[in-house]
Amino acid sequence: MKLLLFLGIGHLHAQLMASGEIVTQREFIDSPDGRESFAAFLQALKCPAYLLTDLIEEDFRHETVPHLSGRSRSALLQRKFEQFYRDTPFRQAILLQRQKTGRRDDDTLFSALTNPSLIKPWLDILLAQQTPLAGIYSVPQISAPLVKDHPAEHLLLISWEKSAGLRQTYFSKHRLQISRLTPVNADLTFQQAVVSELTRTYQYLKSLSLLPSGQTLDVRLLGHSHDLIELQLELPRSADMRYDFVNLADLARQHHIDYRFTDSDARQIFLHQLAARPPQTHYANATHTHYFTLWQLRHALNLTSGTLLFGILLWGMPNLWQSSNNAAEAASLKTLAQRTLGEAQKITLAFPNTYAPAADMKACVSGMRKLGRYDAAPSGILHQLSSILDRHPRIELGDLAWRMDTAEPVAPNTLADVPAQVIIFKGRMTDFANDYRAALNYLENFQRDLVARGYQVAVLAKPLDVSPGGSIADQRDTHTGALGFALKLSRRPAT
Amino acid sequence: MKLSTSDFPLMRQGILAICASALISAIVLYSSGEYAESTQNDLRSAQAMLDDARNRLTTAHQDRENMAIYAGEYSVLIGQKIIGDDQRLDWIEGLEKIRQKNLVTDFRYSIAPQKIYAPKPPIDSGNFDIHYSEMKLQFDLLHEAQLLNFFDALRTGIKGRYQLEGCTLQRTGAALNEGNNNPAAATYIKAECGGGWITLKNRNAPP
Repeated sequence: MKLLLFLGIGHLHAQLMASGEIVTQREFIDSPDGRESFAAFLQALKCPAYLLTDLIEEDFRHETVPHLSGRSRSALLQRKFEQFYRDTPFRQAILLQRQKTGRRDDDTLFSALTNPSLIKPWLDILLAQQTPLAGIYSVPQISAPLVKDHPAEHLLLISWEKSAGLRQTYFSKHRLQISRLTPVNADLTFQQAVVSELTRTYQYLKSLSLLPSGQTLDVRLLGHSHDLIELQLELPRSADMRYDFVNLADLARQHHIDYRFTDSDARQIFLHQLAARPPQTHYANATHTHYFTLWQLRHALNLTSGTLLFGILLWGMPNLWQSSNNAAEAASLKTLAQRTLGEAQKITLAFPNTYAPAADMKACVSGMRKLGRYDAAPSGILHQLSSILDRHPRIELGDLAWRMDTAEPVAPNTLADVPAQVIIFKGRMTDFANDYRAALNYLENFQRDLVARGYQVAVLAKPLDVSPGGSIADQRDTHTGALGFALKLSRRPAT
Repeated sequence: MKLSTSDFPLMRQGILAICASALISAIVLYSSGEYAESTQNDLRSAQAMLDDARNRLTTAHQDRENMAIYAGEYSVLIGQKIIGDDQRLDWIEGLEKIRQKNLVTDFRYSIAPQKIYAPKPPIDSGNFDIHYSEMKLQFDLLHEAQLLNFFDALRTGIKGRYQLEGCTLQRTGAALNEGNNNPAAATYIKAECGGGWITLKNRNAPP
């Protein structure tokens, strides 16, 4: 919500606006009662206020100043203000353009509301009521957007404000140059005032050389359609001036202003313009806008608070959602765990009351089964050897020894993690007389038979060593009819 | 812009709002963090609980299977007095009974103190220690079959498990020299066997 104030001659108009629409309007006369009413009106309002002035006592002065910035510029402007407008606090400087040549100085428009007594009473009330005043503006200052679309380089904008008078603002290259306000008497109509004042203003501009010689002056007139029709008939036809009649209703539509005009009073155009796009510069100083700065600060704090809370909410909601999901999932997992545990207990309780846990039983039984493979039981050895010896009757068993040995090499396709059965077999061969060849062949067959039964056979002692490295002696004297030998047999269970 | 104390009442609401929102934000931040951590921990704990329950169920299933497979054999081991302490008296009595049967011409035995058995290659015996009481046997035999008969009697007649490591058989001509005309009895066999009595002792069992 915004409070818009229009200060004319001896009169203050106030209107509250929300979302571009007028909520309420009040009129206050420049009198003690009027000021009192205004103070009472302000008491309930804490929204920002924009004061638009339309006063005769507004002065404009063009100056070219060096292009400066920061404190230097502020000091320069301050000096200029003191030089031009010592007696009023309502002053401002607007940079029109920077020159293209030379030192590239700034073309600056200095202006001031030269009669502070017209403003101060109302301003004091605003400050007393701690109303956040955003700025003090003038009608010429906010007129620029209304001529922006006009192609003319020299343009005079004419408008009428009921409580102020006839406003004529001259623009050169769309930049404000000078503005005049002529009070309109009750016995003078808007049309008559325009006709009489326009010629004077034209002469005035020529005299000040603001309008180049031979240049046609374009005049834009703002008014109600009825008044404009009359004006078209009454205005003098001349090559010096060209008219552009702008219907206030059309202008309002163009600027999205929701207001119905009943006469040529253009005040609402300016007020709406001010509400929509308040200019950066204005006549109020820091003291005047102190409460507005506080309001902005408070607003910023509130906005920050809101943003912070909203941000936290944005951040917190997914976290909360995630946490809730976690909690729900945890509850579900716990239920599942309880159910699984119950199932496990049900199985465990169904076990018979046995001697040991099942794992111990398994370990114990498996261990004993494995240990059984380490046993060197004689039945397995003797029966096997006995059946082989039955097929070799000319071999007699002498000494026999067996043991389980892990150091024996592992033959292919046998279990490596079981000790090998190692047998030392000492025997002798009978009935071969001196037929050594037959005896050796017989022993060879015996060995093959052993190998066929899964034994690995190593000869420890032969009945006769016929290898090139062996020694042979005549055995005729020592011969007892038997040829002794020794074998080492080893065997692991097949895989 | 300069602020004075008189401006404070105008700013009070904004300052209170920012303080309140900062406080609320801090509380929300802290409490949501705590809540998130707590639920995360809760979830982890629930997951661990479920994993544990699943492990227990798997173990229960395995136990049920193991029980079905091994319980019979285990009870036999208990019946054989293989699980538990040494039963040396049983062994001695059993050996004396075998002696009375005259399965071999003569035999002598010696049992050494019990020790922890370390089979090679090693055997995973779970929660059990394998105990080993070494027993050496010396035999006088008429023939090899006597040795087989002796060990059959040892296996069947004595409760326990005798693990035979190996034997050495040597023929002697003693009987022949003494004028025994029976060629079968003319050959003595002297045998020596080594091995030990195996018992399994549960480590958790009371001494």
